[in-house]
Amino acid sequence: MKMADGTTIVRRNRPGTKAKDFCRWPDEPLEEMDSTLAVQQYIQQLIKRDPSNVELILTMPEAQDEGVWKYEHLRQFCMELNGLAVRLQKQCSPSTCTQMTATDQWIFLCAAHKTPKECPAIDYTRHTLDGAACLLNSNKYFPSRVSIKESSVTKLGSVCRRVYRIFSHAYFHHRRIFDEFEAETYLCHRFTHFVTKYNLMSKENLIVPINEEENNATPGESEA
Amino acid sequence: MGTNSGATTGINNKPVGAGGGTGVVGASLGGGTTNLGVNIGNNSNNSNLGGGSSPNMNLNSGSNNPASAVVGLGGVGNNITNSNSDDGNGGSAVTNNQQATPQYTIPGILHFIQHEWSRFELERSQWDVDRAELQPVVKSEEMFAAMKDCFKLFLAKRQCKMGREEEVKKFNEVYLLDELIKKYKFSEIERKISRPLNEAAHTKFAHAYATTHRDTVGSEARIAMLLGERKCLESLKSDLTRRIKMLEYALRQERAKFYRLKYGTDPPQLNEMKPSNEDTSLGAEVAPDSEVPYSSVSNTTWRQGRQMLRQYLAEIGYTDNIIDVRSNRVRSILGLNNNAEQEENVSPNVNGNENNKRASESEGRRTPAKKIQQPSDTLILDTEAAVMANFEFLGPTEMSDDDEISDDLELVGGDNDKPHMESSTLNAKLLRSEGYSTSNADQSEKITVGSAVARRSLITAVTAAGDEDVDASLGLGELAQLTVNNDSEGTYDSNAKDGTGSGTGGTGYRKTWNAKYTLRSHFDGVRALIFHPEEPVLITASEDHTLKLWNLQKTVQAKKSASLDVEPLYTFRAHTGPVLCLGMSTTGDTCYSGGLDGNIECWQLPSPNIDPYDCYDPSVHSGTLEGHTDAVWGLTTMHSNIVSCSADGTVKLWSPYTKEPLLRTYTASEVEGVPSSVDFVRNEVDHIVVAYNSAHCIIYDTETGKQIIKLEAAQEMSGNTGKFINKVVSHPTLPITITAHEDRHIRFWDNTSGTLVHSMVAHLEPVTSLAVDAHGLYLLSGSHDCSIRLWNLDNKTCVQEITAHRKKFDESIFDVAFHPTKPYIASAGADGLAKVFV
Repeated sequence: MKMADGTTIVRRNRPGTKAKDFCRWPDEPLEEMDSTLAVQQYIQQLIKRDPSNVELILTMPEAQDEGVWKYEHLRQFCMELNGLAVRLQKQCSPSTCTQMTATDQWIFLCAAHKTPKECPAIDYTRHTLDGAACLLNSNKYFPSRVSIKESSVTKLGSVCRRVYRIFSHAYFHHRRIFDEFEAETYLCHRFTHFVTKYNLMSKENLIVPINEEENNATPGESEA
Repeated sequence: MGTNSGATTGINNKPVGAGGGTGVVGASLGGGTTNLGVNIGNNSNNSNLGGGSSPNMNLNSGSNNPASAVVGLGGVGNNITNSNSDDGNGGSAVTNNQQATPQYTIPGILHFIQHEWSRFELERSQWDVDRAELQPVVKSEEMFAAMKDCFKLFLAKRQCKMGREEEVKKFNEVYLLDELIKKYKFSEIERKISRPLNEAAHTKFAHAYATTHRDTVGSEARIAMLLGERKCLESLKSDLTRRIKMLEYALRQERAKFYRLKYGTDPPQLNEMKPSNEDTSLGAEVAPDSEVPYSSVSNTTWRQGRQMLRQYLAEIGYTDNIIDVRSNRVRSILGLNNNAEQEENVSPNVNGNENNKRASESEGRRTPAKKIQQPSDTLILDTEAAVMANFEFLGPTEMSDDDEISDDLELVGGDNDKPHMESSTLNAKLLRSEGYSTSNADQSEKITVGSAVARRSLITAVTAAGDEDVDASLGLGELAQLTVNNDSEGTYDSNAKDGTGSGTGGTGYRKTWNAKYTLRSHFDGVRALIFHPEEPVLITASEDHTLKLWNLQKTVQAKKSASLDVEPLYTFRAHTGPVLCLGMSTTGDTCYSGGLDGNIECWQLPSPNIDPYDCYDPSVHSGTLEGHTDAVWGLTTMHSNIVSCSADGTVKLWSPYTKEPLLRTYTASEVEGVPSSVDFVRNEVDHIVVAYNSAHCIIYDTETGKQIIKLEAAQEMSGNTGKFINKVVSHPTLPITITAHEDRHIRFWDNTSGTLVHSMVAHLEPVTSLAVDAHGLYLLSGSHDCSIRLWNLDNKTCVQEITAHRKKFDESIFDVAFHPTKPYIASAGADGLAKVFV
């Protein structure tokens, strides 16, 4: 939707906008974004342009605060994971997936409860996304979207690890859903790149194979 | 690697192979770590874990926190401990809350009373010294304690029950008098005096309370009411104090008599038994009594005592004349809203300084009468009375009560020579009471930004009044800021005055809306929100593909902030793209959402008390209305039907949960373009009004599908692109359609003639959203200029403007809403937040 007020481009989704035109406006350079939500805008703009260009999406602009960059990306991941959750809801039920598992090695306990609990996979998925939404929007840990406290940055890793299990469950138990979703969004691909790039998860936990094996990360890396 | 992953998952994941609980132990030990304890929820011991595993528990606690805080009083503890630091930041907080104005709240009142009690306690200890010589227990002291219990019990009950109807009932049930008298084994004679006193106190309190209550039913002229309520409590409190002192005095005399009869001499320390030196005001009033020779104490004293009591009671009978005179004076100077002055005025009250006692008492007494008087104004009106009551607070300018206080200030002004010591102690107490009040906020739900500011400024005022030479600069600084705040609102005050005069019958209350709840949990812009028809519950719909359910009664107090954070109770997932619009059934048990994916989803609302981490119940998502082939942008409900408009160019009428839910499709001619918004015509059955890209609105008959009238302005046809309609709403009672335009205008149309009735520039940027309150008196608009504005529909003037959201790209506010039955308004923004104002 491009409606010009004079010569300026106005980036709005007016009511009545067709789905294909939603957010379809000329890119705005990051440096011209004066909003406090500039990083989110920038990331979404990159994704909209080409979701498969993971490398570009994850390339941090110069002079960008890394904490904010990671935080905004993680918000975006959790948001897009809703899409996977919606698909899973149709197939993954407490009767078919009584526990949150990926490979047969581990049962993941749902941390949304006072004492972590063996929730069915769909509950685990929903609870984890809901919990992540609460945490990432918490006024206590993330009061600002332009600067992130060092102590809060450390929380990002645990969110990553938890939400990653949604990918892994989908991959190992609902492969068709996973593949469809991945083909559209490249989300797991991007996520894997993201956590690897910023050392948010250890490599051995990344059990979902992604198409191109990237072995460039240094072995034995550990989390900050 | 094996070791490492063992440790990682051992924390909160159970190895399948090992089986059961022992598996956890085995795995964790096998991992060579000592983190079993961590499993229970300790998040600080992670350091010894290998690599990536360490932050594992952090989320655990992080995500547990919100949940537990919602359920328990997690926030309360924090608040208590933080109260001091909050106060320390008082100055800056005041600055930040530009739109906040002081308000009185129940918690505020409660804590004020508490503070007063602690002051009594101080006095009592002084009495203790006096009393030391007298062996018999001073019964009045027990009564004092009993009264305290009485209050406590009541207040406790009150906090339990938020339904105000209930409270009064409860209070009446708690008939403490007999209990009180029994419990403290008053002697026959003591009972005789104390009984009527207590009774009177109780009745009066109950009455005052009930009156206040009645006033507030349905209406939420809350600020004013609470102010009154506070004063009632104040006056009651001072009455009780007086009575207690009277009783004490009478008892002493009785004892003195007894002593004399027994020993034939005057009791020692008789002179010191005169009501206290520090209580000058009371001393003066009791003076005649102390002059009575002790030999003739018995009957004379009692009689005199009774007389005095009668006098006091008469005083309590709030001399209406005075009130009238004062309120007239007040009206005459109305418009000179001076908050700083008001704050200053309150300070002597809060100090409870004996010097000011008389003034503050008389002021307190007048209030209940005022309370009675005020509703009667309102009730004189016709059946619209409820409406008026509802909205008189939206009316012009300041509360007359405040000005009465101003008058009192003039009287009191002179005797502000209290010791610095005392005021600083009081400061400390106020600080404490503020902390307490904040902690109660969760339960009582009545704390507001304004009240926090008010309390802070009270403190300032105390400081300023008491320590003038020392703290004047600081105090004035804060007061000055408050005044600035006021000035900024002054504009609207004056605007509003004329309008509400006619609109509400001229009762002089205006409510200022303040941000109270922040709903943060969406990852992207909130496109729509809708309130439950009765409960303090709302649903938000976001571009993050989800809807969330919020209960405003389940809050978490944000640190160092007067606003409350609300945790979402339920996340509705079914849309595969941004959710754009919302509708709710009139019963409040079903809601509908339209999305960019072209679907309308139907939802059965979970209970507003659901556990946020309950099991997934697929039946919540109770259906999908498929039919639109492009984004659904508008949705509205009427009875059991919904009407939707879509970017596919159609408007559809649905009857959900039936075999053939799609009833009809309305398509306009090509030239009109795509519909952008739709509403039912509220005063005409079977009519809908649809806004099109052409900047025209068309009213259809839903039965015949025929176009009834087109709303277009003949002379304004040029440059239609700028007049794009973002939102159309129908007036709830009148044949008027209101449209929000891209060209910053709000326009009003006559449905019968199809003509433009009024057009006004309403915002600095496109107007995106509109909402009319249930009674059709006020209009709320939201705009991409980041602000929401409240308009008086009668004279089309702006009553209040609130900057509410931040921009994302060129968008800011997407939706605004009025609660259909409760005094809440809300806004939804591109910044992913929703805010609720009270």
